[in-house]
Amino acid sequence: MDHGREYRYLQVFHQVTRMISMVRDPRQVMTNIVHSLPELLAIDACTIRLLDQASGTFVLGAAAGLSPEYLARPDVDSRETIAMVASGHPVALSAVADSPHRPFREAALREGIESVLTLPIAFQERVIGIMRLLTRTPRVFAGDEILFSVALAEQVGIAISNGRMFRQLEQQVDFLHELQSISQLVNSTLDLDMVLQTIVELLPRSLRAQGCTIRLLTPPAKELVLAAAAGLSREYLDRGEVVDEKNTIQALRGQAVAIQDVARDDRVLYHEHMEKEGIRSLLAVPIKVMDEVIGIIRVLARESRTFSEAEIDFSLAVAEAGGSAITNARTYRKITLLFNQIEEHERFLANILDCIRPQLLVVDRQGRAVMANRAFLETNGRQEAEVLGMEYGRLCQAAAEDPPCPVRQVLVTGRMAVSVQQVQAEDGTRWYERTATPMTGDSGEVEFVIEIIRDITAQRRLEAEQAERSKLAGVIEMAGAVAHEINSPLFAALGTAQMLEGDLAGGELEEDIGTVVRNLKTISELTAKMTIMTGYSSRDYVGETRIVNL
Amino acid sequence: MAEILVLDDVLDATVLVGKILTRKGHVVHTFTEEDAALDFVRTHPVDLAILDIKLQKMSGIEVLRLMKQAVPDMHAIMLTGYPTVETAREAVNLGADEYCVKPIDKQELEDKVAKILEGRSGRI
Repeated sequence: MDHGREYRYLQVFHQVTRMISMVRDPRQVMTNIVHSLPELLAIDACTIRLLDQASGTFVLGAAAGLSPEYLARPDVDSRETIAMVASGHPVALSAVADSPHRPFREAALREGIESVLTLPIAFQERVIGIMRLLTRTPRVFAGDEILFSVALAEQVGIAISNGRMFRQLEQQVDFLHELQSISQLVNSTLDLDMVLQTIVELLPRSLRAQGCTIRLLTPPAKELVLAAAAGLSREYLDRGEVVDEKNTIQALRGQAVAIQDVARDDRVLYHEHMEKEGIRSLLAVPIKVMDEVIGIIRVLARESRTFSEAEIDFSLAVAEAGGSAITNARTYRKITLLFNQIEEHERFLANILDCIRPQLLVVDRQGRAVMANRAFLETNGRQEAEVLGMEYGRLCQAAAEDPPCPVRQVLVTGRMAVSVQQVQAEDGTRWYERTATPMTGDSGEVEFVIEIIRDITAQRRLEAEQAERSKLAGVIEMAGAVAHEINSPLFAALGTAQMLEGDLAGGELEEDIGTVVRNLKTISELTAKMTIMTGYSSRDYVGETRIVNL
Repeated sequence: MAEILVLDDVLDATVLVGKILTRKGHVVHTFTEEDAALDFVRTHPVDLAILDIKLQKMSGIEVLRLMKQAVPDMHAIMLTGYPTVETAREAVNLGADEYCVKPIDKQELEDKVAKILEGRSGRI
């Protein structure tokens, strides 16, 4: 190899390196290379094909100097040539006319191709594509030329891989941005429906898909229920249960499922519905919260497409963010429900307390009022806002002669206390029974004191009347008993005295027996009064003693 | 002259009534126990019974009912130290001629007995 040639190779290598270092898009790298190499290497055409992992074939990436008809031929070259290149070895064909592969030979001759050098494009010892250098004049590729071309192809491999990685990185950054924005949106609300709707609308947009559904496992039966959908017809959504579809079962087990061609995939049940809806590809991912699957997201595309790892990871991340937001929204919904229930119970309790006739006051440990029912407020002529927080002593002022305050007793002793307070009112004396009951916390300490104040005036007055009636009945019974017990002996005494009075008429004892008869008659008049008693009045007797006024 | 029965749980009261009415020429049989008085009524002619309402075992009203069952034409004066509307109404319903409150005046007793017995004679 002469120095002039080496210098030229160096120049080409430098130019190619410079060119690929300036471009990041792999497609652009390929286009630049195929257009630059013919001039640099004194060839007529150049193609780059990339390995399609799914089909195992080399798919055209970029070409220069060739007709579309040539490029559209079904086979690139003979199976042997392709296998050789795929294993990492260059294949040089100086005379295309000698090629044993007829379709290629004929296509190449039609295109006027005479010689072809096929090179592997490798990256990290893995063939990711092939590069072909073609001439329309016969050419024998020398060893150093082949070596140089292999090195150049490796450089191309590095450039393509870098471009791919850069694109992936760029895509991941884009996904990260979108994930961040979706996360922000779904976490900015505690409204479950809004969370779900945000996901079904934004996720397909990020994945260049058209439709999206969210199905959630609803407690307690864990039934899979459609919770939100976007970009899909009602008819499609109502097609039936999807719980028995293999893709659903797999997603519910926590795995992502990507289906490129739903029409021919047995993991889908509703082929006809999907066709009618124009769905070609599907991605199903689980919605997980703390390793538990709570539902699935399905992204539906109207073009046949694959979902890259980055897209699947992105969907899983969105599903996870959605899962947290769904759980938060559900928890918030539960809390709101509980809160409403508590409020309802509180209102109910307050109504009950307001309907209770006795006054009710609740005082905390510091002796401040925390609750008062309507009866208390009305009796004391105060507003609730005024009473709450007020010091107990200001609310219930006691006179010096009043019994000890039961609320203070409870705060000191921790035991229930009762007292009866007497108040002089316009309509006379009124009595109030004050019962203070402790409400203790878990530690056993008094947290609140419930005081119930009952107006027992009517009861007291009734008791007094009953006592009076019972006293009267006693007096009347006593009078009756006395009259009865006295009257029989009195009858005997008076009658006998009257008989004696007759017997002693005219004698010296007549006056004495007359005195006896007169006094016995006085007694009989008194007992007669006693027998007809229905009420009584008393009069002073001696000192503190009073007697019945007959 | 009439056959008169006196029943009172106070012995002195029966003795007194006996003395008053004996002086008026009547035959007076005095009792302090109900059973003895009832036995007497069933076995002897009695024109008038003077009964106390408060007795030892039963009430004078109850005794009156039993005596009236035995001798429907027998006259009766009820005596009580403690008059009540209920006992007065029952006594009248059972056919008592008088309902008197103790201590009854000697003269009043003599007059009431005489009046009742006169009515009896008239009826005869």
